Amino acid sequence: MFHESPETFAERVRAIPGGEHLEMCYSCGTCVSKCMIQQKVEPEYNPRRLIRKAVMGMEREAFEDKTTWLCSACDLCYPACPQEIHISGVLLAIKELALQAGHAAPLKTAVVDELTCVACGLCVEVCPYEAITLVETQVMGQTRTVARVDANHCMACGLCAASCRSTSIGLLEEFSNEVLMEELWAWMGGPLVEVTE
Amino acid sequence: MVDAARHPKVDVRTYTEVERVEGFVGNFKVLLREKSKYVRADRCNGCGECVPVCPIEVPNYFEMNLAPRKAIYVPMSQSVPLIYTIDLDACIHCYKCVEACGKLEAIDFSIEDKLVWEDVGSIIVATGYSHFDPSVMPEYGYGRFPNVITAMEMERLNNSAGPTAGNLIRPSDGVNPRRLAIINCVGSRDKRFNPGCSNFCCMYAIKNAILLKQAHPDMDVTIYYIDIRTPSKGYEEFYDRAREMGVRFTQGRPSLITEDPETGNLFVHSEDMGLGQVIEREYDMVMLNQAAVPQPDVDTVSSVLNISQSPGGWFMEYHPKLRPMDSPTDGVFLAGACQGVKDIPASVAQGSASAARAGRVLHAEEWEIEPTVAYVWEDRCISAKGKKCGICARACPYNAIEYERGKAARVITAKCHGCGGCVAECPHNAVTQLHFTDAQILAQIHALLADGPEEKILAFRCNWCSYPGADMAGTSHFEYTSNERGLRVMCSARMDTDFIYEAFRLGAGAVLYSGCHEQDCHYITAQRLGAKRADRLLRTFEKMGMTPGRFRVEWISAAQGDKYARVLNEMQVTLDSIPKKQLLEEIEDLRPQMEKRARRMRQVPQVEEALAYADSLKVAGTGGEV
Repeated sequence: MFHESPETFAERVRAIPGGEHLEMCYSCGTCVSKCMIQQKVEPEYNPRRLIRKAVMGMEREAFEDKTTWLCSACDLCYPACPQEIHISGVLLAIKELALQAGHAAPLKTAVVDELTCVACGLCVEVCPYEAITLVETQVMGQTRTVARVDANHCMACGLCAASCRSTSIGLLEEFSNEVLMEELWAWMGGPLVEVTE
Repeated sequence: MVDAARHPKVDVRTYTEVERVEGFVGNFKVLLREKSKYVRADRCNGCGECVPVCPIEVPNYFEMNLAPRKAIYVPMSQSVPLIYTIDLDACIHCYKCVEACGKLEAIDFSIEDKLVWEDVGSIIVATGYSHFDPSVMPEYGYGRFPNVITAMEMERLNNSAGPTAGNLIRPSDGVNPRRLAIINCVGSRDKRFNPGCSNFCCMYAIKNAILLKQAHPDMDVTIYYIDIRTPSKGYEEFYDRAREMGVRFTQGRPSLITEDPETGNLFVHSEDMGLGQVIEREYDMVMLNQAAVPQPDVDTVSSVLNISQSPGGWFMEYHPKLRPMDSPTDGVFLAGACQGVKDIPASVAQGSASAARAGRVLHAEEWEIEPTVAYVWEDRCISAKGKKCGICARACPYNAIEYERGKAARVITAKCHGCGGCVAECPHNAVTQLHFTDAQILAQIHALLADGPEEKILAFRCNWCSYPGADMAGTSHFEYTSNERGLRVMCSARMDTDFIYEAFRLGAGAVLYSGCHEQDCHYITAQRLGAKRADRLLRTFEKMGMTPGRFRVEWISAAQGDKYARVLNEMQVTLDSIPKKQLLEEIEDLRPQMEKRARRMRQVPQVEEALAYADSLKVAGTGGEV
């Protein structure tokens, strides 16, 4: 009387810790109108629709959805959800499945300068996404311990860059230290102290 | 209400509290506190001359505190009886009202609260519901933004008898709003506050929208909702009418309301489900359709009347489908929202049903109850010998046992529903249950385990859930082991530890202890007694070194025939996995302990005779040593 059926996408999401309450969502949209990423960064971002896609088994669409990759787990939506769903947990569960399926995070992540990194481990401790680990690697022919960023879990928040004592870890391009300093100076009307070479 | 007050057989007592209830169905004694109005009911004619002279003004609760009232007042102009009351917390004793009253001399500050005992046959509880306070949800700004109002405030503002004579104005500046948002499910369908649906708010929002549209056709009325629920007759048509009138329905629960401090206008942020995008719209006024919640003093009423509560604080009905108007206490009936949120037609229906049920009690010369009530052998009760006990009284979910040290416990038969909890709990076997006596049940156990007991699975089933559950397994043709032997008692609370010990002493292969799920208990809380006892037994058997799985506890509802079959098949698998020789050795090893634990049971009256009879049948039948 029982027959084997392949696990559905929703079941696989539920099986990952954090994804359990997936199907409790009754689509009220509170999380969407609460979300800062939706308001400030990406108008297409929509956790409700992503949860819906997971429930309906739309695996490919879910993995391609920007929402899968952009949630920073700020949990602004969590206390507002009337069904008490830990939404970022569900989103991370979907992201985990996407990574297992071979998708890669599209974000520009933090980069380590292995020449100057002293492996103090400060960035490992501050990273809210547990994306940094200390690894042994070959640098200029020597075996050294350095920090390494897991690009799939880094959300490019920059906390590591702000905490690094040797400026060995940081974000690139528009969020690099140089660009940010220039923006700051432009805003302040030039550096307070002349920097000489 | 006026008709009721004038009826010769209806006695309306307002401003009166029930302090105590004693007795049982048909014979209740109720202690009433008639609070003093400081106005003599026999002299006041409701002329209202006293009101204009009173210098004190306090917020009027009936008007949702939107208007003042005097210290001498009637709650509303249609009050029955129309007798004024002095609010002594506000009164400054200027006695201007006494002067105004003049020759009637109705005002008398010396009147005190009166305590009266009344004999009543039945009681109907119709205490209604209260409103959720939305100020605990900071995102909606109720209490901070003056133009965010509740549904009840809207009711008064839009009422021709209300403080504004029906002229809808917004509180911040007195201007008529042209754009109004109604937000549904404020505090309801919300696991943080009230997980349940408040039932009538969808219709209520639509009603208000239609009323406003009729009065102001150019007004922009938007209803924000999660789901619109209009399930009864004519409701969907009403919803259609609102749509035809141009009320805007927006699916999506708002996450935030912000205010423009200059104009007092409000911005509602939500995701529009239809568009699939976040919208922000400006309104002059926002009405929050707040959840219905139980009255703040439900616990007091529960304890006074000995009626239990369902999750959420609503009074518990006897049976959710078959007896929704009866409370678990005989002679006490429930009407309206105090039993669970309901709208006016449902409340009227339940009220009428309760009245008919209550009338049945009043017109009966005698009251029939189930014959399976508890009975105390006074000579066995240790309380009669002056010892402290009272275990039976504490076990009873109906408060049906009177216990006083020095006297034998007494069962109030009219209150007893026959769960058998007290019977199984009594450590001295001084209580029995008619038709389910220890002797009868033990004789059944002996008969069921007469032949090859080590192969048998003895299943204790409760009358209401697991017995019908086993029936369901049968009628649904779920196959389960033929070694099962079922034994029915009224409730898992009746499943005495002695029965389990005796079954294992006789060499039973396995024993199933099954009953209703906790929330389905037919005897208020009796299942919890059984569940606690079963946990104790599990621990005891574990300590004894019994193979796990030989004693199993499962809660199986009447619909779970598949579960019943599955559990028994699993038990059969467990039993088959123990080598026969090992099983017999284990039974022999444990027998002395079981015998010791079950020894007291043999002192119970009639047990020896019943067992001798059961065993004689066995000898006459197939034989076999025990």
